Amino acid sequence: MEFRWLGAILIVAGCGGYGFSLAARHRQKERALSDLVRALERMECELQYHLTPLPELCRMASTDTNGMLHRIFLSLSRELELRVMPDAASCMRSVITRFSISSRELRLILSELGESLGRFDLPGQVKGLEAVRRKCFGELEALARNRNERLRCYQTLGLCTGAALVILFI
Amino acid sequence: MRCAWKELLDILPRWMITDVDALGRSSLQELRLRLDAPPELVSCDSVQRLGRQVSSEDLSYCVNAASRYSPWAAATIAQGFLTVSGGHRIGLCGEAVLKNKEITGIRKVTSLCIRVARDFPGIGSSAAGLRGSMLILGAPGRGKTTLLRDIARQISEKSTVAVVDERGEIFPSGFVRGDRMDVLTGVPKAGGVEMVLRTMGPEWIAVDEITAEEDCRSLLQAQGCGVRLLATAHAGSLDEFRVRPIYKALLDNHVFDYLLILHSDKSYGTERIHTWNSGGLERF
Repeated sequence: MEFRWLGAILIVAGCGGYGFSLAARHRQKERALSDLVRALERMECELQYHLTPLPELCRMASTDTNGMLHRIFLSLSRELELRVMPDAASCMRSVITRFSISSRELRLILSELGESLGRFDLPGQVKGLEAVRRKCFGELEALARNRNERLRCYQTLGLCTGAALVILFI
Repeated sequence: MRCAWKELLDILPRWMITDVDALGRSSLQELRLRLDAPPELVSCDSVQRLGRQVSSEDLSYCVNAASRYSPWAAATIAQGFLTVSGGHRIGLCGEAVLKNKEITGIRKVTSLCIRVARDFPGIGSSAAGLRGSMLILGAPGRGKTTLLRDIARQISEKSTVAVVDERGEIFPSGFVRGDRMDVLTGVPKAGGVEMVLRTMGPEWIAVDEITAEEDCRSLLQAQGCGVRLLATAHAGSLDEFRVRPIYKALLDNHVFDYLLILHSDKSYGTERIHTWNSGGLERF
């Protein structure tokens, strides 16, 4: 009997945990995108007023971001300093493949950022960054839509699935 | 002879480095990279080609390595060149982008001409003692900038020299400057001459490659302020110099006292100008 209860608790906790982790991932993605927007804004300013070279720009972006984005920008900055790849887009591609970015949208946005870097003219470079920033905003808006309901839904669904499995198994 | 050779090798694609290092370390003047053609190494007396063809990735690598992946940071890209650390200059050719009838950049690079900057201390000794404004004339690649650099350095042992180094190739990092020398880098010559004139109180002003009318105007203005000038211009001789209308005002106003004409073997002859209008010259 005790084992049954223990099993039931484990199933509910496992499914609930999965639901909660989905909600946490959602929040994490939001945080990463907000960080990226902030970093892009700073990059645009630096470009327009100081013409900061790309490796320094990426190092600055790494200080504006946390977690994986911080590591990605730092790694990109190192890659650019090493001057191994023919262009900035290849450097970014190489960095992205090294990090396993779970969010497909974030991966696409970073690839687009890589493609936009290293343009010949400053206005073109700034516009490229603006376009990436707009895309981030679009993603953030999509994530913010019914955000609370969706997060609650993930958590409740997780718990309910666990409860349903318990009823089925026991 | 001094040369920032490592800085030059750093901007070349990996596969090229060993060959260029072996063939050009002592005498390379230019390295020409053209899309789908083998790299061309131009020295004083020979032209050598490497076996492999240059790809667009190679050209892209050179431009990105030279600009630290920030070609937009080099304001000179629109003028078709980039100056690399060590003073080497990369000339660019390809598909230009125009905006409001002005070149804003180069979309696709198809050729690069990398000119190696070398410093030869002492080559300007005989000219440095001349008392009067000097104009160095020479065809491209004859060493105008190298001569200007050394003369400016030697003059600055006794007089204050302000160098307006628009392209950052007269005194790049690593090149020895003179004792009493102030170097203004990255400013267009016309504005730069006015700036140093107002702020640095120089006895001499040195500028490289006067090519535009506003450059000439700024030199005329400086001349009227009691400053001696040291400048270079593209021309094989005084006659060639005369043909170009933008230099007319310089000739008419007797801006320069001496002409230093560079020959193909990189030696130079000094001529004193008596009267520009009659073209009287006194050879040294």
